[in-house]
Amino acid sequence: MPTTETQQLDEVIASSRRRMLTLGGAALAGIALSSVAHAQSATLTDADYLNFALNLEYLEAEFYTLAASGQTIDQMGLGLTGTGTQGTVTTKSGGPSSCKVPFANTLVQSYAQEIATEERNHVKFLRGALGSSAVAQPAIDLYNSFNTLAGLLGLGLTSFDPFADDIHFLLGAYIFEDVGVTAYTGAAPNLTSSTNLDAAAGIQGVEAYHAGLVRQVIYGLDQSSTTLGAAGTATAVAAAISKLRAMVDGSNSVSSTMKDGDDIGLGTQQVMLNGSSNLTASAIVNASTTGSINAATTGNTAGSRVFARTAAQVLAIVYAGGSGKGGFFPAGLNGNVK
Amino acid sequence: MDISTRRLAEKRLSRRGFCLAAAATAATTTLVAGCGNDGSTTTGGGGGGSTTLNDGDYLNYALNLEYLEAEFYLRAATGSGLSSSDTGNSTSKTTGGSQVPGLNSLQTQYINEIAQNELDHVRFLRSALAGSAVAAPTIDLTNSFNALANAAGLGSSFNPFSSYSNFLIGAFIFEDVGVTAYHGAAKLLTSKTNLTAAAEIHAVEAYHAAAIRSQIVAAGSTAISTANAVENVRSMLGGGNETTLSATGIVAADSTNSIGFERTPDQVLHIVYGTGGGAGVKGGAFFPSGLNGNISVTQA
Repeated sequence: MPTTETQQLDEVIASSRRRMLTLGGAALAGIALSSVAHAQSATLTDADYLNFALNLEYLEAEFYTLAASGQTIDQMGLGLTGTGTQGTVTTKSGGPSSCKVPFANTLVQSYAQEIATEERNHVKFLRGALGSSAVAQPAIDLYNSFNTLAGLLGLGLTSFDPFADDIHFLLGAYIFEDVGVTAYTGAAPNLTSSTNLDAAAGIQGVEAYHAGLVRQVIYGLDQSSTTLGAAGTATAVAAAISKLRAMVDGSNSVSSTMKDGDDIGLGTQQVMLNGSSNLTASAIVNASTTGSINAATTGNTAGSRVFARTAAQVLAIVYAGGSGKGGFFPAGLNGNVK
Repeated sequence: MDISTRRLAEKRLSRRGFCLAAAATAATTTLVAGCGNDGSTTTGGGGGGSTTLNDGDYLNYALNLEYLEAEFYLRAATGSGLSSSDTGNSTSKTTGGSQVPGLNSLQTQYINEIAQNELDHVRFLRSALAGSAVAAPTIDLTNSFNALANAAGLGSSFNPFSSYSNFLIGAFIFEDVGVTAYHGAAKLLTSKTNLTAAAEIHAVEAYHAAAIRSQIVAAGSTAISTANAVENVRSMLGGGNETTLSATGIVAADSTNSIGFERTPDQVLHIVYGTGGGAGVKGGAFFPSGLNGNISVTQA
């Protein structure tokens, strides 16, 4: 479907796509590893981790609020000011109102509204908890970022508009939610205050509810054809997103012996229950199961536990492999984790 | 039900729990089957507050809950429960449960996945606890659901293994409770390794909870009403901590800050024992003889 938008997109992603695609997985992993070293060089406080989380919540809140309401979160009354450099939100050419998803499925619309409310509440909570140390909302890109990622999926996609319709929105959400879960899981043991830990665990759980919801709904809708294509197409896109995240985050790199790295995409897996081997199961939960084909090579996560990511690994993903900035955060995060 | 009404109801019901409520509904003076230990109290009974609890105690508490979930899902998926190598018992102490009939391939996939997850959790916790792991306690998957249904006003019996729609309600009972239990325990753990593991399992339970809740919502108003009737009972027994299920109420979280709920071990025990507030409750409902380990008797 050649449109003005896709033509713009081709222009916009030409440089970034060429740069990132030609780098290949190994080079992406190298970039991510340099980011790891950077982020771990300083001793981080609870506030640093909460500000790191706040950056991610700004991103999620903007995405869902635009999708559900066609407004940015400041238009919904949230504050964006704080330490660091405040940035703007980049959307497609029609602006925020053009991002309101023309939902066909009222349940999906309700889910979008709920998640939008909850992510805004997380922003408000973290800003309140951090007080004057709260970081400002950094520059957020919800246009070029998705197109860049689409190009990296290896599926021949040259653009991706997560605000186009139900299934596109859900796949956009898929990009964020599992990452949020792994970010909070990785940060939890670093928090020194019991109060902060308790709150982080509570938000982690909510992100996991979101992730479970989004994955469940995509998989269910994708049993029939969607606007993306025949049944199974959305599942394949989701699986490619997981594979890309596992590659870019610089750890548990995808290899012949670790098929899915630290990110399990939608699809089916074989499980073993009560001696009945090779039963087919879904993969709604983003975790390796001991009965699955990944069991033997993911010892640190076997046991159906979600993955934990370091802050640096999360940065590598949200920067789409960029160093210090890029992807969803074209000017980088605000705060000491960036 | 508004807040004041719910609080009043909590006060009235929480002291007696759903077993006694069920007995009243059934207009009988005998305790409802499956609630054999309902209301029985002890003075200064072991477990909980009188001694300092360590990480192992909390992990064993979690292991008891995982035994329950694994038995439920494995039986729903295959008709058989945990094997002796996964329970520490030579013969099974679980009663009830059978393979859910009439599943389509997608429903089979969903049940198989959660069954594998919960089985993995049992195995992981048993491995982490090694020699201190508790064996699986007595688990009742028949009378427990009947009593709960009665308390929820859903009739005198409820079999979560009879159809996929009933299975979803059964799963709904467990998953949100598991989430709140792990959340409540997280800050009590002293080892960072244990904390991380608990957080990793906590999230898996939340994935499950969302998958189950969204399927119930998609199933329509009857299913939603049934789930919320159960949720009311759970709320009364477990100190509130519930979000009424709806299309915009998939996540169970505080409505003001959207932070997920947590429950103390006591609150969780009151739910799985089917018996409301008060110290000294030793067992009931899903665990007729109580949990194994040092967290087994309610302290308040």
